[in-house]
Amino acid sequence: MKNIRKTSTAALTTAVAGTLLLAACGGGGGSAPDDGTTVLTVGLFGTFGYEELGLFDRYEAEHPGITITYESTQGEDKYWPALQTRLASGSGVADVQGIEVARIADVVANQQDLWTDLRNTAAAPSIDGYVEWKEPAATTADGAVLGLGTDIGPMGICYRSDLLAQAGLPTDPAALSARLTSWDDYVALGTEYRAAAPAGSAWMDSAGGFYNAIISTEQEIYYDATGNLVHESNPAVRSAFDTAAAAGQAGLTARLEQFVDPGWDAGFASGSFATIACPSWMIGYIKGKAGDAGSGLWNVTTLPGGAGGNWGGAYLGIPASSEHVEEAAELIAWLTAPEQQAEVFASVGNFPSTTAAIAMVGDATDPWFNGAPIGQIFSDSSTNAPVQILGPEDGVIKSAMVQALLSVEANGVTPADAWNSALADVNNQVG
Amino acid sequence: MTATLERPPVTPVPPPASRKRLRRNDTAGPLAYVLLGITALVFLVPFYYMIVAASRPMAEMNRTPPPLTPGPDLWSNVVKAIDSQDIGLALVNSTIVSGVITVSTVLLCTLAGFAFAKLRFRGRAALFGVALGTMMIPPSLGVVPLYALMANLGLAGELSSVILPSLVAAFGVFFMRQYLIQTLPDELLDAAKVDGATSLRTFWSIVLPVARPGMAVLAMLTFMTAWNDFFWPVITLNSSNPTVQVALNNLGSGYVPDTSVIMAGTLVGTLPVIVVFLLLGRQIVGGIIAGAVKG
Amino acid sequence: MPTTLRPAPGVRTPPRAGTPWRTRLFQVEERTAPYAYIAPFFLLFAAFGLFPLVYTAWISLHSYKLGSDMEWLGLDNYTWLLSNPEFYNALWKTVTIGVLSTVPQLAIALGLAHLLNYRMRGRTFFRVSMIMPYATSVAAAALVFAQLFGRDAGAVNWLLGIVGVDAVDWRNGDWTAQVAISVIVIWRWTGYNALIYLAGMQSISQDLYEAAALDGASRWQQFRHVTLPGLRPTILFTIVVSTIGASQLFGEPLIFGGGKPDGGALGQYQTLGLFMYQQGWTYGSLGRAATVAWVTFLLIIVLVLVNTRLAKRRASK
Repeated sequence: MKNIRKTSTAALTTAVAGTLLLAACGGGGGSAPDDGTTVLTVGLFGTFGYEELGLFDRYEAEHPGITITYESTQGEDKYWPALQTRLASGSGVADVQGIEVARIADVVANQQDLWTDLRNTAAAPSIDGYVEWKEPAATTADGAVLGLGTDIGPMGICYRSDLLAQAGLPTDPAALSARLTSWDDYVALGTEYRAAAPAGSAWMDSAGGFYNAIISTEQEIYYDATGNLVHESNPAVRSAFDTAAAAGQAGLTARLEQFVDPGWDAGFASGSFATIACPSWMIGYIKGKAGDAGSGLWNVTTLPGGAGGNWGGAYLGIPASSEHVEEAAELIAWLTAPEQQAEVFASVGNFPSTTAAIAMVGDATDPWFNGAPIGQIFSDSSTNAPVQILGPEDGVIKSAMVQALLSVEANGVTPADAWNSALADVNNQVG
Repeated sequence: MTATLERPPVTPVPPPASRKRLRRNDTAGPLAYVLLGITALVFLVPFYYMIVAASRPMAEMNRTPPPLTPGPDLWSNVVKAIDSQDIGLALVNSTIVSGVITVSTVLLCTLAGFAFAKLRFRGRAALFGVALGTMMIPPSLGVVPLYALMANLGLAGELSSVILPSLVAAFGVFFMRQYLIQTLPDELLDAAKVDGATSLRTFWSIVLPVARPGMAVLAMLTFMTAWNDFFWPVITLNSSNPTVQVALNNLGSGYVPDTSVIMAGTLVGTLPVIVVFLLLGRQIVGGIIAGAVKG
Repeated sequence: MPTTLRPAPGVRTPPRAGTPWRTRLFQVEERTAPYAYIAPFFLLFAAFGLFPLVYTAWISLHSYKLGSDMEWLGLDNYTWLLSNPEFYNALWKTVTIGVLSTVPQLAIALGLAHLLNYRMRGRTFFRVSMIMPYATSVAAAALVFAQLFGRDAGAVNWLLGIVGVDAVDWRNGDWTAQVAISVIVIWRWTGYNALIYLAGMQSISQDLYEAAALDGASRWQQFRHVTLPGLRPTILFTIVVSTIGASQLFGEPLIFGGGKPDGGALGQYQTLGLFMYQQGWTYGSLGRAATVAWVTFLLIIVLVLVNTRLAKRRASK
């Protein structure tokens, strides 16, 4: 017995060593084959929908000589640091890389040298087709365009009609929308809901999410048009913070941090909260989390007062180190063209960012959401959205604000203290 | 916990039959079974939860109280996981990576541990201090320079970029040194010296047999650590040539990470380690006993 | 190497005449072998450990944003760090979570190893189940525990509810979040340490137990007077390793926090590891991250030295 084990261990060792040698000899790296085909690598995060819809295959079929290698990372929070590490080391970067909208200001401000100016490529004609604020965000002070827009995140209010009915509130989107002419109305309705709500159900998910919704309808947030930080002095920021903090203190929130607390995911099914300000891409998220059993429970209406807003979206850029800039530019122009954007929306739910594609999806409805006219709601939200001024430290400041608001609703910190600690955090980081 | 095992020390001990007394002393009482049983239960419940979560639709796991029995979806979730990521390739890659790292770490650490434990040479204390110090370096500290280094060597994205930095571990050196100090009697080495054996020969024919139980434990720990290593592989590898952890990290791609599929993938990714452990575990248990008899 | 073939000065005459060549070779082998044995470790370390370490020190003296060029800052990053309340918070949380997780972990492990050392039925099963948590990846473990510790639908609160305890908001509370994370750590590492203790216990000579038994020592006395002293080096070893592990705690709080390195609304579970990750990979400030890493490194060295000295002193008493 003992001998058999010994032999098998030795065999295993030999096998492993042998495999390694083979792997070492076989792994010659990714140099292009000699038959004249160009290999384009595409690195994205999350779901852009291209692979899922077979768009890469279709492109390869229509463009003989092009082969696409696709790699995807689930979380943007892991994707971006890895990409930055590769950019810094100057190797391992794909020909096409996705850029989340929260990163675009940083790219524009600090990484102009690392990305291709698309004005000088085959993608140039595409730059004009977007909603008016999409491409300026990817344009540097010198006018260089570093990314083509894929999707945007216009917003609405998603709500549980069954819970609202139990609390005696209107459940029809139009009727609800009529009651919501401002964010103050939204809070007032929440107070009404709280008095009659089923046990364990709050009006909204989190103070941080509420803050984020209010702020996404503003034009000037943390930076002014000249690029100065104004987060401390901008009354819109303070007012959004105070409104959200007051809602948290009043017990209108379920105190579930978005995307972090597993209870938030669970809440879409269990009814821990009745409403949530939702960008278009969250439609798919809610469906997934609430499951088939949730069909017909949820509905969508416009933001209070029919305001427009934006949360999220992405760009496709070509790193300067790419050896196939022209081919890559043709690819991204095709991927972000209106027809493909509309197709992606129909199947994955990412809302288009080109005006032509938005026109194509205007009458889309969603049966899971009680047949809500999501195409109309999100189209209106995107056209009404202000031309937001983005800045490189937006992410830092937003996360400090959201964290401070969580401390108000969950830890009983006073809004004034929370505001001060958020400012201190920001100054520590940015200053 | 152990206090409950105390017995009044004044109990008159039957003086003869020391052999019998020893055996009785060695055998577990009911309390030991109860305590170990509870611990085993606590240790295994999260696995059970994983199986339950992997076998039910995500939305069902969000009910209160959560379901306690496995549902019907295990296989379909496993298929979804395998469909969305190349888990087969990931398993092969992880086996190669963990296997090479384990063989190399165990051998090199035993060598170095033996030198530090039993051989006299100038600078031994200082060098051991340095080796120990390397253990205190936070693993994420050198990621950027390390990636740059791998990129310059043309190894970024290759399995060797994961293998090379882990070929040896300060922990292993420390572990084998402690183990050999405890188990390897100096007399054995002296005897070998008198017989005129070279130190390499001594190592091969005297140290290795004594070290085997320790090496087995180290092998198991190293294999698991390598298998579960996450931070560095995620940075250096990409989804077209992943290890299991990289593939799992990419699972449930999209805005709606499906917890059930992630759990199913995690089960598939954990299974090989458990199999290896079950296979090796018996030998380790045997090895530990063998070592004890020799000691 | 070949040049060292001549006898070193001061080497005494070969003990056995007749084979001076072989003897000399032995002597040379004896002197050089130790270095050869430790060489692979140090060579590999120099390439893949030391170089990044030194280079990181260099980075810590710069402003270095992910994706941009380095700019010389001198010691600015260090003054920034040492005047940052968040750093001290992270330091303190690292200590408290470290104590909360390490002390019970090692104590339970010692008890388990003692039990596992008995002759018993199903011993293999018990030993295997001890190490199962370690076989799980941190990610999987933290994912499962984050669910179990959920406020509304978590199994822990559900069990507490059966006993009549109100639902606890584990994640958002200060100490509760630290306890939850410590439970993950304890769950994952206790069996691992128990096995290491077990291996150490097996190496204690049976003669000692036999002698103790003959002297009429109870099991508890045998444990105290034979097992514990015999395990002293192993215990010291696990203390050092756990201290280092605790000071680098990273994966558990990161995934418990949903992949965000904030460590909760109050930073109640932001460890130094998370703080560094946040600087480098959330904010993209590699220079500051490198500074945090280096200061952590220095703190760990001090901590381990103090710990070792304390443990040694206690042991020698």
